[in-house]
Amino acid sequence: MPEARSLLLVDDEDGIRRMLALTLADVGWEVRTARSAEEALALYRERPAPVVITDIKMPGMDGLELLKALKVQDPECEVVLITGHGDMDLAIQGIKLDAADFVTKPIRDDALAIALSRALERRAMRQAIRQHTQHLEQLVAQKTRELLAAERLAAVGQTVAGLSHAIKNMASGLEGSLFLLRQGLDADRKAYLEQGWEMLEANVRKLKTLSLDMLRFAKPEELAPAPVDPALPARQVVALLAPKAAAEGLELTLDVQPGLPLAQLDAEALHRCLLNLVGNALDACAGAGYGTAKPGGRVAVRVEAQTPEPGMAPDGAAGGTAGGAAGGWCVRYRVADNGCGIPDSARGQLFTAFFSTKGAEGSGLGLMTTKKTVEAHGGSIALRDAQGTGTVFEIIIPAKYENKLL
Amino acid sequence: MAGGAGTLGRVLVVDDEMHLRLFIKAVFESAGYETATARDGEEGLAKLKEFRPGLVSLDLMMPNQGGIRFLSTLRADPEFAETRVLVVSGVEDETFRHSLALLQAAGVAGGALRGPDGYVEKPPTAEALLREAKRILESGAETGRAPNVEPKEA
Repeated sequence: MPEARSLLLVDDEDGIRRMLALTLADVGWEVRTARSAEEALALYRERPAPVVITDIKMPGMDGLELLKALKVQDPECEVVLITGHGDMDLAIQGIKLDAADFVTKPIRDDALAIALSRALERRAMRQAIRQHTQHLEQLVAQKTRELLAAERLAAVGQTVAGLSHAIKNMASGLEGSLFLLRQGLDADRKAYLEQGWEMLEANVRKLKTLSLDMLRFAKPEELAPAPVDPALPARQVVALLAPKAAAEGLELTLDVQPGLPLAQLDAEALHRCLLNLVGNALDACAGAGYGTAKPGGRVAVRVEAQTPEPGMAPDGAAGGTAGGAAGGWCVRYRVADNGCGIPDSARGQLFTAFFSTKGAEGSGLGLMTTKKTVEAHGGSIALRDAQGTGTVFEIIIPAKYENKLL
Repeated sequence: MAGGAGTLGRVLVVDDEMHLRLFIKAVFESAGYETATARDGEEGLAKLKEFRPGLVSLDLMMPNQGGIRFLSTLRADPEFAETRVLVVSGVEDETFRHSLALLQAAGVAGGALRGPDGYVEKPPTAEALLREAKRILESGAETGRAPNVEPKEA
């Protein structure tokens, strides 16, 4: 590198400066000279030099101050200090301030050559380290990309494995129901007929659910958001499931924060999400043994406004005017039940395709599809820790309703 | 019907899937075997002691205690040296043998674990279940004659 052979020489003594400049030029350096630290800084700013040789003792700004100033301006600049005989303390101070080396007066050519080559080595090493670090960063970035790709592949593998398990189970169920029905008919055994019929019904239902869920899951999420009352999907779902809950002896309640402004969302898509969550919650209550024989199973749905910034009052939207709608508030849907809960071991896989805690009853696509819809809204879904037993799911959707006509 | 002395033998059906339990139980029952069922490996081991089956129809992927744990516990107990095992699973035979060989290599399965005596992949058919059961129980007269599990690939 040609720039590596360029240096800036700083000394207030004309004789030394001239003599050193000649010597250095003679061994191939391009030398610029300065009479003072101030002049040196000005020259350096004009055009940096890889190496600066400076006397320590100078009127005005001294060599150590120049060293500090240079390092602030350009940490890669290498500085060689010239010290008087017996100025060892100053030299040590200089090294502590990250000088490359020092030479003592009277300056011997070989000592100067060694100091300069050390300075150049330090510079080269620093550059090598920087390149290495950059390379490492690139390497990390590349490996990260590879890892992500591998994870995606693993997710596909998991999906296929889960799907194959579900399909094999259903195929077994269908095979089994056919066997039972035939045996029941041949041997005139009512018990087999009943079991076979039940099995057929259950597996046909499962097949239907799985295939419809898969269709929905495979379809890219195209939302049709429109400004609506965010409580609307919750009202519809609770109305829809109220008869089922009542028939199963479970309590289903809806609690809507009054005066919610309009929100920009796809009410139909959120309807499906809430249907999934509330349906799961009812199943969980039944799974915990609640029912007509054992009352006490409860599913509570709440819709409320949530402000992301703690500075805004959480019920700031309660004023009831749509005027505040453009702000950064979110709609929070909360579905809480006191059912059988979700074991810790299952929490990590809840939103994975074909994973279900409902055994053969779940397709393992409901929560996954719900998550997809929620994320398409720019929102999030999370499992909150329930107080005591049960499960609490929360969907948070940014309500970013902007009226583009205004 | 589950009858006493006149049956072909006793089959314990271990599967976490209710429909499969019902199905496999009905297959053996209607062919003249006496049957009992268990929902996982743990319950299966308890039933082994009281029911003393000649054959166990064993699922592999079950909660609580999976099929391989059940198999190694059963094989380690001299009391059940005569009990034959028919694996009925959605896991492919090949895959299962490979993982069993890996477990053996790692010493997890307690050294030389004898593999299952037969294998039927899910979804099972009544014919395949009965054919395998018959083959296993007939060859079972010669103790230890049942095929050992060996890795297919070196």
